Amino acid sequence: MAPDALVLGEVDAYYGDSHVLQKVSLRLGEGRLLGLLGRNGAGKTTCMNVAVGLLPPRAGTVTLFGEAVTARPPETIARRGMALVPQGRHIFKSLSVRENLTVAARKPAVGGRHSWTLEAVFASFPRLAERQHHAASHLSGGEQQMLAIGRALMSNPRVLLMDEPSEGLAPQIVGEVMAMVRRLKQQGLSILLVEQNAKLVLDVADDIIILNNGRVAVADTVAGMEASGVDLHHHLGVF
Amino acid sequence: MNQWLLLGVNSITLGGLLFLLSAGFSLIFGLMRIPNLTHGSFFMLGAYIGVSFLGLGLGFWAAALLAAAAMAVIGGGIERLLLRRLAGQELAQVLVTLGLSFMIADLCLMIWGGDPISLDTPAGLSGAVPIASIVFPAYRLAIVVIAVVIAVALWLMLERTRLGAMIRAGVDDAPMARVVGIRVSRLFTLIFCLGAGIAGFAGVMGGPILSVYPGLDADMLPLALIIVILGGTGSLLGALLGSIVVGFLYNFGQVLFPEIAYIILFLPMLLILLFRPQGLFGRHAP
Repeated sequence: MAPDALVLGEVDAYYGDSHVLQKVSLRLGEGRLLGLLGRNGAGKTTCMNVAVGLLPPRAGTVTLFGEAVTARPPETIARRGMALVPQGRHIFKSLSVRENLTVAARKPAVGGRHSWTLEAVFASFPRLAERQHHAASHLSGGEQQMLAIGRALMSNPRVLLMDEPSEGLAPQIVGEVMAMVRRLKQQGLSILLVEQNAKLVLDVADDIIILNNGRVAVADTVAGMEASGVDLHHHLGVF
Repeated sequence: MNQWLLLGVNSITLGGLLFLLSAGFSLIFGLMRIPNLTHGSFFMLGAYIGVSFLGLGLGFWAAALLAAAAMAVIGGGIERLLLRRLAGQELAQVLVTLGLSFMIADLCLMIWGGDPISLDTPAGLSGAVPIASIVFPAYRLAIVVIAVVIAVALWLMLERTRLGAMIRAGVDDAPMARVVGIRVSRLFTLIFCLGAGIAGFAGVMGGPILSVYPGLDADMLPLALIIVILGGTGSLLGALLGSIVVGFLYNFGQVLFPEIAYIILFLPMLLILLFRPQGLFGRHAP
């Protein structure tokens, strides 16, 4: 059996003394879309930071297509085929739109397919092509989100992590972003999607993990979850 | 020849030399946030190493280029072995680079002695060039031309190449740049090598004008500080403008008001710090 695209195995992570992830395990199958849900502060972004190498876990493992990358430097993990669309977008503000894309350009890691080039990203996001010579800081929120997605794709990743891509965007732009997520999934990319908006995730995900206070509360397929009638409100509701 | 014109030419020449000194200082300080107080020592050590290469019978420019290469290696070594471990600790960086500058000064005194060494003007540039009925010393013109060429090359590298974009990305948001796959720490070493190399080159090039002597490092470092504060850290344009301003202040101050030459030199820096702390073209306030 082919190894899973991304596995976190019993990960313990801390910010200073605060124990933010407690034995968190998750499994993203190749070509699948795993939705990661949870309240604010449940540890979703921390999972992302551990996976990309920004936060080395105190215990546990991170495995990318069967290869251990636990606590490796972020640039090494990126070169093995992981890409992140971070919360808050984190585009490079003093670079032009085009430069934001070209600095991330890379041939795919072994096992990946080379399909994303500057032209391909511009074809998918025509707004970026129109504004390619503008400073990235002058883009609107929606355009910055597209730039962050385009930048992640320029590295031709095998695993794409997306952290709250709908945050702060107008409904129409959210629709465009989610259509892009669907298209990437159809192309066979393995995707880990973090969202506050559970409905968006349930529409596109194959599998769901719900985090609560740094622990996995629910891990199931979307179909299984709907069949067993898990009360999402119980896990995600604020009141 | 008109005395004022000569003073003007000398000011621009000194400005060119100072640009080569401060460009690296500005990039290292502005991009990596390292206040590198060894930078004056890079200038002096480069000049002394050039002296030794000249002593081996090499030509002037070969000696200057080899000294630049040696300084690039030494600068890269200091970054990798020492400063790398002190990332983000500015006080520790100040103390270590200051300590290193004293050590380098002693080392130079030990190896090259305490007497000033005057370098000969390179062959072919010892004459004068007549331009529009005025006669310019050829070597001083050459310094200005070389400084401009290096300034343009540095600017093109930073603003027009993918490598330059990667460096700017690393400065903007280092963690995100690493997540994108950019090897930020290697780029920072590269900047350090480049800054040290250019400073060493400038040291040799300044030899025929300033000569090489113990204390050259301590004479140059404050000038680099003034320039970077005037022009703003991390800005090549700021370093260029600041260098020319300091070149003029230095030369005209010493002739017109020799008693208060240093006040004239440092006063603009104080004013800038008080009223525009990010400098004329700075990326961020120091």
